[in-house]
Amino acid sequence: MSRRGSDKSSALLALTSSALLLPAYQGARADAPPEFMEAGMRYSKYEEDNTQGKKTFGGSSQRYDIDAAQFHLLAPVADNWAFALDVQWEDMSGASPWFVGESASGEPKVIMSGASIEDTRTEVSVTTRYYYDRGNAGVNYVRSDEDDYDSNALALDGAFNSSDGLTTYGGALSFSADDIEPTQGSVPTNTLKNDKDISSAWIGVSRIISTRSLLRFGLSFTYRDGFLTDPYKLNDNRPDERKEWTISTGYRHFFDAPNAALHADYRYFDDDWGVGSHTLDLAWYQNLGDLTQLIPYARYYSQGQADFFGNLVDLSDRYYSQDYRLSSFGAITVGLRLRQELGNWVVNLSGERYRTDESWGVYNGDESPALVDYWRYSFGLDYIFR
Amino acid sequence: MAGFEHCFKAMGGPCRLRFDCADEALAQRALEAVEAEVLRLEHKYSRYRADSLTSQINRAAGTGAAVAIDQETAALLGFAETLWEQSGGMFDLTAGILRRAWDFKSGQLPTQTRIDELLPLIGWQRVQWDQHSIHLPLRGMEIDFGGCVKEYASDSAATLLAGLGIERALVDLAGDMAVVAEGAAARPWTVGIRHPSQPEQAIAWVQLTRGGLASSGDYARCLLVEGRRYGHILNPASGWPVQGLSAVSVLAPQCLVAGGSATIALLKPEAEALQWLGELGLPWLAVDSQLVCHGSLADTSANMSARHSISQEGNTE
Amino acid sequence: MNVLRCLVCLLLAFGLCACETVEPWERGALAKREMQWAPDAMEISLQAQINASKEASSGGMGAAGGGCGCN
Repeated sequence: MSRRGSDKSSALLALTSSALLLPAYQGARADAPPEFMEAGMRYSKYEEDNTQGKKTFGGSSQRYDIDAAQFHLLAPVADNWAFALDVQWEDMSGASPWFVGESASGEPKVIMSGASIEDTRTEVSVTTRYYYDRGNAGVNYVRSDEDDYDSNALALDGAFNSSDGLTTYGGALSFSADDIEPTQGSVPTNTLKNDKDISSAWIGVSRIISTRSLLRFGLSFTYRDGFLTDPYKLNDNRPDERKEWTISTGYRHFFDAPNAALHADYRYFDDDWGVGSHTLDLAWYQNLGDLTQLIPYARYYSQGQADFFGNLVDLSDRYYSQDYRLSSFGAITVGLRLRQELGNWVVNLSGERYRTDESWGVYNGDESPALVDYWRYSFGLDYIFR
Repeated sequence: MAGFEHCFKAMGGPCRLRFDCADEALAQRALEAVEAEVLRLEHKYSRYRADSLTSQINRAAGTGAAVAIDQETAALLGFAETLWEQSGGMFDLTAGILRRAWDFKSGQLPTQTRIDELLPLIGWQRVQWDQHSIHLPLRGMEIDFGGCVKEYASDSAATLLAGLGIERALVDLAGDMAVVAEGAAARPWTVGIRHPSQPEQAIAWVQLTRGGLASSGDYARCLLVEGRRYGHILNPASGWPVQGLSAVSVLAPQCLVAGGSATIALLKPEAEALQWLGELGLPWLAVDSQLVCHGSLADTSANMSARHSISQEGNTE
Repeated sequence: MNVLRCLVCLLLAFGLCACETVEPWERGALAKREMQWAPDAMEISLQAQINASKEASSGGMGAAGGGCGCN
C-alpha cells in the first residue's frame, strides 16, 4: 500500500513512527528491514602496557599500539532488502614477544622483537540481507588486507521465526581462505609463504521468555586447516589442523523501576589442542532520561593451556609453542561506555581496562612472562537518516 | 475454511468482525479475544465511564496531582501530540470541553461569552505529561481520546487475529476498519466508503489486503441557523466550526494513521486540506462542501460496478 | 563435564518455557535498543577481534569468518 522512499511525506513519516510506538504494532513488524538508513564511525585507541621489567630480558619493553577506525553503513532497499557496508582500518605498531628464554636463576623471561613492527590492515565487508515475513537471510563477503596477510571470507546466515513470534532459529556457515607472507627483516620467520582455510558452522535459538526477558543458546564448530604456526615466534610449531567447538548462552532482562537492561553472556570453548575456556560477559545498560545511556561492563575470561604449550620448549617435540596466547591465564576487563543522543546523531564514548594473571584463571598451568594488559578508548558518532 | 461473523456494540456504535478460520475452537477464542480487547480499550479510555483512566485524569485536573500512566497511554499521548504538531495545533485532545457550549440537539448557537469561558482551558501546550504520568494544571480541563481510540482498537484487534494465525479478517468498528489478508489463499477485502448524504450508497470501493481504512465526516451533526451550516468539527483556538471538507477517507498500513490523517484533513480549510492530502503519500478520498469528490480513490472507484451497495460490502467476488 | 551438564539443564528449562505466552502488544519493552542481542555492532566486532587476537578462543554467536595476521 505505501512505498518506501521520497514519495512519503514528512507528515506521514511523523505519524507512522509515532503510531508504531504503540503496543499493538510491536509484534506486527515480524521481520522487516530497518526503517531508516544509518551510518556510523568509531575511532579506537588500543595501548598495551609495557612488559614487566623482571619478566623481560633487556628490561621493560614497549608493546603494541593500535589505532583503529571503523565505518558502518546500513541501508534499507525496496521493501524487503537491506545492504550493509563495513570498513575497518587499523594502524599497528610496536614490539611483540619473539621467544622465551631461561634466566640465570631458571625463570622464564621473554625476549621482545627489537625493531618496531609497523603494519596497516584494511578490511571491507559487504552484506546483503533479504527479509520475508517469518525471517531473514544474508550473504556476507569480507576481504582483509595487511602487509603480511590477506583473507577472503564468505558467509551465509539465516533466521526463522516461529509462528507465534516467540522463538527464533538461526544458523550460519562461513568459509575463509587466508594467505600469509611474513614480512622479512626484523626477525627470522617460520615460513616465507603459506596459507590456511577456516570453515565454520553455527546454529542458535533465541526465545522470548517473558514480557521483560530473552534467552538464547548457540553451538558452533570451526575447522582450521593449513599453516597455523605463528610465523614470527622463534620457538613455535603448531599442528596444521585445529577443531574448535563452542557452546554459548545469553540472557537479556529489562528492569522497569530503574529503567535499565541487564546483559549476561556465557561461552564455553574447547578444541583439540587442549585449550578450554570460559567467558562471562556482563553489562548494565542504564538509561538516564530518554537520550542518555551509561553502560558499565565487565568480562571474565579463563583459559587452559594448549597441550604443546610450555615456557621452555623441547625442540625435539613434534609440536611446541611459547606463545602466551596459548598459555593458562585469567583475564578481567572492566569498562564504561556513554551513549548520548543529539537529534539524529548519537555520540559514543568508552574506555576499558584489560588485565591478565595466571592466578585469576580456573585452570592450572605455567604462567607465561609475556601476559598482556591493555587500555582501549573509543569515540563514536552515528547518524540516522530520519 | 468457514467464515465467521460477530456483531457487538462498543465504542459508541455497531462493531462487526468477520474472518475465515478452519478451526471452530480457534474461531471462538478469536471472537472472544477481539471483543475483550475492544471493550478493554473502551473501558480504559472512554470519557463516559467514571472508572476509566480518562475520567481519572480529568477528575485530577487542577488538583496538582499527576496521574500515573502506562506505556500504552504514553504512546497514545505521543501520537496525539504528533497529530497536534502535524495539524498546526488544530487537533487538540483538550478541545473536547467545547461540547459544553455547543448543543447540537437544541438548534441554538452558543454565546460568545460561553465560548470565551472555555477557551483558556483548551490547549495541548498546557498539558504536563511524560512517559510516566500526566497532569492537567487547570480545573475544568479535560482530555478526550475519542479521536484516536476507535482506530487504535481496530488495529489492535487485527494484530490479535493475525497473532492467532488467522489469515483473513476484517474488523469494522463503526466505520473504522482494519484488515488481515495474508497468505497465498487470502483474498483482499472489498469495502465501501459510505456516501455522505446517501447512507445506503457507497461513494467509492476499495480493495484492502492489510492495514486500515478510516473515515471522518462533518455531515452528521450540525446546526442550521439562518441558512448557515455550523458543523461539529471545531477550531480549538476560536471555539467555532471550521469551514472544511465534508468527508475524508484515508487508507494506511495502520488504521490509526489513516484516522489521524483523516481528522487532520477535516480540520483544515478546504483548499489547504486537499493539498495536504495530495502531498501525504497515502490513498485518499475527500468530499467537499459542494459534494464533489477528490482524491486517488475517487478515480479507481469509477471502475467498480455501480450495482454494489453498502449492504453487500465484504465478500464481493 | 560439569559445564555441559549445567547447560543441558538450562536447555531443558528453555524448552519448558513454552508454557508462558507473550502477546505481540506486550513486547514493547523487548523492542528497546538496550534489549537487543547486539545493540552496538561495531563495538562487538572490534571487541571480538581484539579478544580473538590476544586469547586462544574465538567465536560464539555466529560463524567464524576470516582471520587476520594479528600479533
